[in-house]
Amino acid sequence: MFTGWLIRPGAPQWIWAVGVLCDFLIFGGAVFLLLQLVPVHYRKALVAIVTFLAGLIYSVEFFVPGDPKTGKNFLTGFIEQVADATNVVYAFALGLGVYSLFRFHGKNLARKRQGWHNNLAFFVAFFVMMLAGFWQDLTPSSAMSKNTFNMLFDGTVAALGAAMFSIVGFFIVSAAYRAFRIRSAEATLMLAAAFVVMLGQVPIGAYITNGLPAAGLGSLFRLENVSYWILNEPNMAAWRAIAFGIEVGALAMALRTWLSLERGSFFEREL
Amino acid sequence: MNHANWTVAILEGVLVFLILYKIFWARRGKDLYIRKIPGLSAIDEAVGRAAEMGRPMLFCPGLSGLSLPTLQALAILKHIASAAAKYRTRIIVPTADSVVYTIAEEVTKDAYAAQGVPEHFNPEDIRFLSDDQFAYASGVVGILNREKVASNFMFGNFFAESLILAETGHQVGAVQVAGTPEITQIPFFITAADYTIIGDEFYAASAYLSREPTLLGSLAGQDYAKAVLVFIMLAGVVTATLLAVHPSLGEWLNWLKWFSPG
Repeated sequence: MFTGWLIRPGAPQWIWAVGVLCDFLIFGGAVFLLLQLVPVHYRKALVAIVTFLAGLIYSVEFFVPGDPKTGKNFLTGFIEQVADATNVVYAFALGLGVYSLFRFHGKNLARKRQGWHNNLAFFVAFFVMMLAGFWQDLTPSSAMSKNTFNMLFDGTVAALGAAMFSIVGFFIVSAAYRAFRIRSAEATLMLAAAFVVMLGQVPIGAYITNGLPAAGLGSLFRLENVSYWILNEPNMAAWRAIAFGIEVGALAMALRTWLSLERGSFFEREL
Repeated sequence: MNHANWTVAILEGVLVFLILYKIFWARRGKDLYIRKIPGLSAIDEAVGRAAEMGRPMLFCPGLSGLSLPTLQALAILKHIASAAAKYRTRIIVPTADSVVYTIAEEVTKDAYAAQGVPEHFNPEDIRFLSDDQFAYASGVVGILNREKVASNFMFGNFFAESLILAETGHQVGAVQVAGTPEITQIPFFITAADYTIIGDEFYAASAYLSREPTLLGSLAGQDYAKAVLVFIMLAGVVTATLLAVHPSLGEWLNWLKWFSPG
């Protein structure tokens, strides 16, 4: 810590939190200043070098065999540090996300646009949740702060998330209704396959073909076995074919990004 | 953390060599053919529809942070934002990650500037909603309903919220083009979206839209890499079948063990 020597051992937790924040700003400011000092025509090369070195650590770590006892090689220890550095870079952008929210909701509120009360609700929710979080962190032994935070998080945020998730069930029905209409040979095939798979997953499916033998050739035609076969043979083959295509595509893109060959894909102008 | 064995290292080296070789080969000015991908061709149609209707478009770059699928989504965003700027159509980009938000804003701003209309870029249309999955989904659903979007593009990593977004887009009557490398979400997009980009088509999008030699070469390299993998799989099928019929050949046909981990 840059500011660690200013803080006495045993100082309250909030002072340490302020210290970490100051370190964060000092380090971030220094890196930003250094980047600004680099001439424009060298910045592209600098970005390419940093990207290559960061990617190289992960590649070499993966390809160099690990110690048979520990499973680690000489670079394994660095992976966590690189991940931490990535998290620090990410943390810088968090403020920008908050800024975006404040800008959007603040403008709507200030101009009293239609639905401004929703923008007000955002600010209330933001500050109440933030204060509850800090209160809980600063008074870890207080049951009241813990209960307040839990009431807000488990009782509100988590419950709202679960409510939103439950809508998926209704959407599956409406989407399935459209998908399973018999419009073409492919749609008919899909309807038949889906019908068999669904029947095979519920007790009535097993009941319908209960008369067939449990073993031997006849057992292959029991609905639960047909359902299992559809899921694990044709479906799995298609799944793996798609997965291979995706992974090879991801490998190519990772290579282009790592070697900075992806230029021009995102911006018209150069750095 | 897992480490590669020698077989995987050599195989990976071969795939990397093939992709890089075709990239540098294409950069020398070779003409490469790329088949028509209906989902990607539909992007221009969807942009045109929004322009004709005078209603905005929405682009969802998925839930992930700055991962490979998100980078690919941002490359597609560049193309769509350029078309939006060209036809003076509004594009709304709700994000679930603050880093992606920052880059999406720059990509869109740059696309408007490149089309010579930087004054039409509205920074408020690039929004960070929430990094919580369903808070983000409800935010996007709200935008879809309030703004009555004409075209909805969903590219990137999607999870359980995919159907919520796609079905809402369908309900508001938007033309929807979607693509994701998340295999479990592809059926939802096929069901609810008008055009879906499947599998490696997702990573072919930037090459298809930009026709950059580097990207086209990479695509050709991917095809060669897939051919190598298909050959290994076929050889594996033949070997496994022979071993099932004649187990005594096990000592001669033990190459399948090379791919075992450890």
